[in-house]
Amino acid sequence: MSHEKVHYRTICNSEHATSSLENMSSRGFRVATTVAGVVATTVLAGCASDAPQDTWKPAGPNAQKIQDLQWPIFLTAGVVGVIVMAFIAFCVVKYRDRGQAIPDQAHGKAWLEYLFIAIPAVILTAIAIPTVGVVMALNDTDDTECVINVTGQQWWWEYDYEVGADGTICGYAPSEVAASPIITSGQLVIPADTKVLLRGTSRDVIHSYWIPRLNGKRDMVPGRVHFLRLESDTPGIYAGQCTEFCGLSHANMRMETVVLESAHFQQWIDNELEPYQAPAEGSLAAEGETTFIAQCSRCHQVNGLVDPGNGNLVVSYPDQFVYSGAAPNLTNFLGRNTFAGATWDLLTPECRTDVWESSPGEFGDKYLAGVSQDCLNEIDLREWLRNAPAKKPMYADPAMLEQSDGKVRGMPYLGLSEDQIDQLIAYLLERK
Amino acid sequence: MAIIERPSDAVEVVDETTPSVATPESSYGVFRRPVETTGWKSWLFTIDHKKLGIMYGVVAMFFFVVGGIEAMLIRLQLAGPNGTVLSADKYNQMFTMHATTMVFLFVMPMAAAFANYFVPLQIGARDVAFPRINAFGFWAFLFGGLFLNTSWFLGGGADGGWFMYAPNSSVAFSPSNGVDFWGLGLQITGVASLTGAINLIVTVINMRAPGMSLMKLPIFTWMVLVVQFLLLFAIPVITVALFMLMFQRSFDATFFSVEAGADPLLWQHLFWIFGHPEVYILVLPSFGIVSEILPVFSKKPLFGYPLVVFSGAAIGFVGWGVWAHHMFASGLGPISVAAFSVATMAIAIPTGVKIVNWTLTMWGGKLRFTVPMLYSVGVIVQFTIGGLSGVTHSVAPSDTQQTDTYYIVAHFHYVIFGGAVLGLFAGMYYWWPKMFGKMLNERLGRVNFWLTIIGMNLTFGPMHIVGLQGQPRRMYVWTENRAGDGFFNIGFWNLIASIGSFVLALGILLFFVNIYVSHRKGTEKAPLDPWDARSLEWITTNPPKEHNFDRLPQVGHLDEFFHRKYEDRGSDGHHEFHQIATAEEVVAEEENNADGHIHLPSPSYWPILLAFSLPIMAYGVIYNVFLLIGGAVLGLVSFYGWGLEPHTAPEDDYDPPTGTAMEVAAHG
Amino acid sequence: MFTTGSKLLFGASGVSLVGTLLYGILVGGIMGTVGLVSLTTGLIFIAGINAFIRDANVASDDVSQFSGSAAAAPRPGSSVWPLVVAVGGALIALGVVIHEVLTITGLVVVLAASAEWLLQGWAESASSDEVHNREVRGRLAYTAEMPVAAAIGLGLIVFMFSRVMLGVPTKASTIIAFSIVATIVLVAGAVISRARSMSAPRMFGLFAVVSAVLLAGGAVAGFNGEREIKEHKTTAYYAANDKCGEKEISADEHASQTVAGKANSSAEVTLDENGLSYTRPGLNMVQSGVIQLPRSNANNILFRNETSEPRRFIAEMANVDGSPARICTALVEEGGVQLLTVNYSAPSFDPVVEELGGYAFVVAGLDDRIEVIVP
Repeated sequence: MSHEKVHYRTICNSEHATSSLENMSSRGFRVATTVAGVVATTVLAGCASDAPQDTWKPAGPNAQKIQDLQWPIFLTAGVVGVIVMAFIAFCVVKYRDRGQAIPDQAHGKAWLEYLFIAIPAVILTAIAIPTVGVVMALNDTDDTECVINVTGQQWWWEYDYEVGADGTICGYAPSEVAASPIITSGQLVIPADTKVLLRGTSRDVIHSYWIPRLNGKRDMVPGRVHFLRLESDTPGIYAGQCTEFCGLSHANMRMETVVLESAHFQQWIDNELEPYQAPAEGSLAAEGETTFIAQCSRCHQVNGLVDPGNGNLVVSYPDQFVYSGAAPNLTNFLGRNTFAGATWDLLTPECRTDVWESSPGEFGDKYLAGVSQDCLNEIDLREWLRNAPAKKPMYADPAMLEQSDGKVRGMPYLGLSEDQIDQLIAYLLERK
Repeated sequence: MAIIERPSDAVEVVDETTPSVATPESSYGVFRRPVETTGWKSWLFTIDHKKLGIMYGVVAMFFFVVGGIEAMLIRLQLAGPNGTVLSADKYNQMFTMHATTMVFLFVMPMAAAFANYFVPLQIGARDVAFPRINAFGFWAFLFGGLFLNTSWFLGGGADGGWFMYAPNSSVAFSPSNGVDFWGLGLQITGVASLTGAINLIVTVINMRAPGMSLMKLPIFTWMVLVVQFLLLFAIPVITVALFMLMFQRSFDATFFSVEAGADPLLWQHLFWIFGHPEVYILVLPSFGIVSEILPVFSKKPLFGYPLVVFSGAAIGFVGWGVWAHHMFASGLGPISVAAFSVATMAIAIPTGVKIVNWTLTMWGGKLRFTVPMLYSVGVIVQFTIGGLSGVTHSVAPSDTQQTDTYYIVAHFHYVIFGGAVLGLFAGMYYWWPKMFGKMLNERLGRVNFWLTIIGMNLTFGPMHIVGLQGQPRRMYVWTENRAGDGFFNIGFWNLIASIGSFVLALGILLFFVNIYVSHRKGTEKAPLDPWDARSLEWITTNPPKEHNFDRLPQVGHLDEFFHRKYEDRGSDGHHEFHQIATAEEVVAEEENNADGHIHLPSPSYWPILLAFSLPIMAYGVIYNVFLLIGGAVLGLVSFYGWGLEPHTAPEDDYDPPTGTAMEVAAHG
Repeated sequence: MFTTGSKLLFGASGVSLVGTLLYGILVGGIMGTVGLVSLTTGLIFIAGINAFIRDANVASDDVSQFSGSAAAAPRPGSSVWPLVVAVGGALIALGVVIHEVLTITGLVVVLAASAEWLLQGWAESASSDEVHNREVRGRLAYTAEMPVAAAIGLGLIVFMFSRVMLGVPTKASTIIAFSIVATIVLVAGAVISRARSMSAPRMFGLFAVVSAVLLAGGAVAGFNGEREIKEHKTTAYYAANDKCGEKEISADEHASQTVAGKANSSAEVTLDENGLSYTRPGLNMVQSGVIQLPRSNANNILFRNETSEPRRFIAEMANVDGSPARICTALVEEGGVQLLTVNYSAPSFDPVVEELGGYAFVVAGLDDRIEVIVP
């Protein structure tokens, strides 16, 4: 499985062509060189190898279509830019006032003017035709193989996996039928080599779903249903960020798409649908369960959780407390490795690097292992449990909720004691 | 309180049958007319387009500094990861107000400053068509801008971005009064823009000097004319949208409430149908300025003048058909996206025409690199970069990767800073001697120019990189784990951009230093025609007299002033231009044949009072209905006071003294 | 010739004469006719006397007597206001008999004309210079007249244009709208380019022609009446008024509120001989039995009836307190489409929901159902 990365072409091949063009303007006019430098840098920016949201490093056919369309256009723009700069530089140097006579007061030359309308017109037509083609191709959803519902809210993403009429999820049959379908947040897990269609909307303001290495962005608008195709054949974790300004914590609304090959995806589904296992009696985690039911379960659902006190199934009603009407489902919280809008890592830096930068072949197993006690990034998680709105700006101050009917937007300060936090972490460590 | 003329007490009886004629003697009523020609009152109540132009400029520069400080804070916050200079809330307010201030309170009014000052001069008129409305426009802009910025002290500025997308602008999501201030403030400045637009359109169409056909209209005036038409049609759209927003927030309307069945994209369409022409509103005046300056310092007429005019007009028309390219990611559907994508590419053609024609104007010329010329060449170069990056996101699929990232921020700063703001600075250096009678220091000007250019490229150039590396806009922090490492890592280039912004700020600061240095005691007066200019505004004194021209100029050429100074003595297709007159001689000729009884409009209290009622009403909408009523009463009273006031005071005809030029105190 | 006062009375007499005749012919009630005849006779009599005594003003015959006094200042100019006041008065009277709208119009006319009359009278005595007096009047009056005239003018344009647009077929209205815009742009361009050489009367003439065309178009269209326009009522309206009961009403499938919903549906449910099935946008597949919808979110469901019987589409929901709830469309005819917006606040595995039989889409009178899964 090592050949995939090769066929995703990047602009880097054209690097030499661009810099030789740049030399044309070497007559020393400073502005022109500065500018050419900027243009060249712009073009070359696509070559960086390692920013996780690099828009020039496609890892799937949708992003590849965009890449194939845009790099010749960037190149053309760069070349045109350099030619114009060179032309300006030439005029500036050649026609500097050296005491020559006052030039003819001619008002133009018709043929030249037409020529300079024709040239851009031709270039732009050449750009327009493939553009229309790619727009249509990217919006074609007829061959969809898997549908996942995506819902944005301030400031996190929720995913629920549709169970098809044949009882499968994206074509994978779960080993046991659970009462509740898979519902996760932050990290979207999709099978490799599958044409996934995100059917997105929003519960409050407009958000935008963007995984740069898999496709362009698409706004998720309340009251509307929008679609976005994602597909990749390379297992791995692909970073993204909400790109439509969505209020206070817009910067802290992130997401990742995790691509797993089919065996691993099957494993992931089975794990997600596994029945709830209560912590061993008397353990710290069991105390954590009690604390969770008392403090968290009003908003956060853990599927299958039964209150040992009365034997009832615990069902959360976030719509009574949260303005958007939802809070992340925590059934398999530590099966994911980021939290709070995918903004903070649940893994320590070393473990994170190990998972995020592992090879496609090894990735699946490492990801499915979830977050272990040793790898848990307790610092951020503890800070979060101590005082969430202090870590991530949210509208959660009870005194200031007059305008949103007393409902919070985000997670409020809960006043948990350190003991309670210890218990909760122990409890959560088993949620994977 | 009616203000009408008091008839003479004594009725003269000329003879038995003819009734005598009673002439008005003086105004009476609440106020006498202001009569001051010097001191602060002469500025407060003036309706002279030149004084208003200068005030527009001063206020716009003030807001430029305000917007600049906001930008500095933003760059400080983003210089490193997890910035702590600003809180999330303050950061959101900061970028909203930075954009709003720069667009509505700096670039637009700065262009209005030049338009006000120079359009009448360029078309050989003595003032604009409606001088009192002109004054009203300025005061409405000033009060609107101040009103908007008072939100900083009254619970925080608007925090929804300058595009203020619904439903994030609703009360539930933006509980402070910031958005109310934003909407109402823009409503007030919108009134200013709209009245200004009507005024300048009527002025250009009706008040041109004899002989000046539309195709002899100076190119700056042409571009201003196109812009005024754009304003005339664009402002009503945003007015409607802002009213909807006001009703949504203040009176529980549901225009953008999804739960009531509304579609939030309605706001986006309304905003961008205004917002895209707005881009051309920002940039076309600068294009006009550059098109004035390049011929002067190339000693050649503008290459392809008709084509530049038509491409300006074409941009004005096509600019209405491309708004949805701001919404490629909004989910419009492939057909709309494809159509708007192609339309957007089409608009690149007239824009390209301008760049090519500017360059060809320099071709074969006799170029003098003064500061205004440097700035103009700067505009061509920087705007070309912005234009080309614009082409890359007219390609809709490519745009879905770039929109809402720093790549877009880079793009529009090259367009608006590189295209519009540099052009405005070119205009300031070029017209400074005309407006104030002193030259700005050339040497300081050069340093000013190069620092600005280097600063802007350092600031906005790296944004291309961080954008393509996937850094979205409007994030109050960026973090290490999304920055990557290596040459193109987001952290390094963010730091460079922040450093660049300080270089840029230093460059701008030098401009203010230059003003101080150039106006110190003992600096020489500017020569009458320092640049060997070509157009009508130079056929008068520096600064111009209150009545602009002693004799309304007779126009025979596009570059009238040039052709009065130079004559073609060549023959058989061979051209040889010789100077036949100095600027002093041309102006003296005009002075010696001065018109008598020059009729100038008189100053008035009412425009400023009427404008003042607007922010009072706006505060009323936010805080207290009685304030609203009070403001409305003041507005109504001013409105009627204005209506009842004769537009000229009796016996204000101006008879110019013969010989020496009469100086009008233009500053100080 | 005639003094101001007698003009008023003659006008009033004339109008009430016409009114009497019209009333007598068209309505013909005995009380009304007698009253109006008396009124008319009385008015004509008073008018005659007034004309004879020249408003009881001896001076008006003899200018030479008082040159030099203020009253001798130029003869008052001609005035249309007495006539207008008279017409207004007559309208009031007519309105009492015919329709109250006329009375109100008459009142407005009388008030406005009286104000103008007063103003004119005041302005004419301001000084002995007629030009100056006109200016004084204009300055005082324009501040009120201009906004009112502009509002009336704009209102008239909008009204007349709307008559035209409502009168022509739907497609033609688009063409007309665009041609009008094109014409305005062209004419405005032409006017602007020639503005300086165009005389005021010509400009005025141009506007007069345009106004006349608009008025004529509006009048013709208004006379022809509007094209057939269906009344739009929304699903919500019917659902609210019918409560999913038995009352047989059907909603208009073109109801405007549903357009945005239709464009953004979560699913389209179809009822045909085989029962209920659904398709979801983005997925080219017909499904049945179970559908999954997000929680706490407004899901727009389109219902299409392909059977010959009118059917009502019902969503079975649950309240938080455990009581059942259902929302429904109106009856949908064959081939009709209806929109239903459903928002589930509790998950379908909530015991409270399960006890009630879970969430489902059903059709009244049929057994077939689609279970709704809410995660």
